Amino acid sequence: MKYLVLLLAVIGITACSCSSEKVEPTPTTHTAEPTEVIDQDLMIALSKAKNFHHKARVYMSDGKLAEATASVREIMALKFPAGAPEAEDVRNDARALLAKLLVSQNQLDEAMRTVQEGIAQSQRESFFVANLYTVKGEIHEARAATLDPKDPAQAAQLVEEKHAAISAYDKSNDINSALQNKLMEDR
Amino acid sequence: MATDDDNDILTGAVPEPDAPASSSERTHAKTFAELVDKSLTGRTPPPAMSADDRALLEVATVIRAASGNVELSAGKRRSIVEDALRQAVGGAGATKSGSVTPIARGRTRRWAPWAIAAASTFVAAAAILLLWLRGPAKTVTPPVERSAEIPTEWKSRPADPLIGPIKQEHAGDASDRIDAIFADRLDGYRDRALTARGRKAP
Repeated sequence: MKYLVLLLAVIGITACSCSSEKVEPTPTTHTAEPTEVIDQDLMIALSKAKNFHHKARVYMSDGKLAEATASVREIMALKFPAGAPEAEDVRNDARALLAKLLVSQNQLDEAMRTVQEGIAQSQRESFFVANLYTVKGEIHEARAATLDPKDPAQAAQLVEEKHAAISAYDKSNDINSALQNKLMEDR
Repeated sequence: MATDDDNDILTGAVPEPDAPASSSERTHAKTFAELVDKSLTGRTPPPAMSADDRALLEVATVIRAASGNVELSAGKRRSIVEDALRQAVGGAGATKSGSVTPIARGRTRRWAPWAIAAASTFVAAAAILLLWLRGPAKTVTPPVERSAEIPTEWKSRPADPLIGPIKQEHAGDASDRIDAIFADRLDGYRDRALTARGRKAP
């Protein structure tokens, strides 16, 4: 009996030594970064942004512009997955709406600051950046509208604001044209 | 039975070879012959005897055993035969005597260690041969998700192709645009997470 146990032990040890399939551990580095695919975090952030926009629209329909502005500001604070291109697009679109809300509340300087921050922080040109330039042009127009053309002290500033508005609209058109051409080439 | 004459034989003068036996010698020879007869027939030996008689008795026993004419008593023979038959048929009382082992089992006990040692050596040699002959260990690398293999609709990407140029009169319609972006990305997310194609993907 003891010889049989010894034989089984030898066979067992031999079998263990013959297990040749080595499975390497899962590599920690993937060629596809987590931000390259649509994941749950991105969907949650987009869902929250959508709800804040709808909430702001309800407030606007009731004439509650301050509450609508606060709701849109919430979108800026949303946390998106790192490197997600949607994050920049959604924030720029929210900035455009926020700037228009501020203009409607006669907060032109705050509106201009909101738009310029969005343009400065953008990593690439997009239709949303072009839209920011469009809103910037509207803000310049709004500023020009507040100036008295008969007042010599404000006449020069008026001309300057109008020129700035034209430049902003032109920049918006340029971005849109370049992007459209690029998209057509990609197709 | 030891007597003073016994000592005379050993310590006394050595008689001539052709000299007739003395009476004491005859008596001693007769006594020793009876002692040998008792021992060979299995009868109880006397409780005490001289050291010389005991030595002579042992020599006589050895000589008789060597001649091959020793026969066991009938009772002893019957007992041994019955024991052997019981072991042969595997009876319960086979091991009682312990003096007789079946031939087959004896052979098995003799060859088992050698057979197991040979088998172990064979297995070890086969394992060494296998380790030597096989090539370098194949490594199973988990599939890596490559960016190029991911469908576009599953990727996080700019929303420009979806939205297109934004007209000035729609500059503030961000709510409609976020609805479109969310719906489009949800389609891709569901396709990746819920469909069979998405589940098969790395």
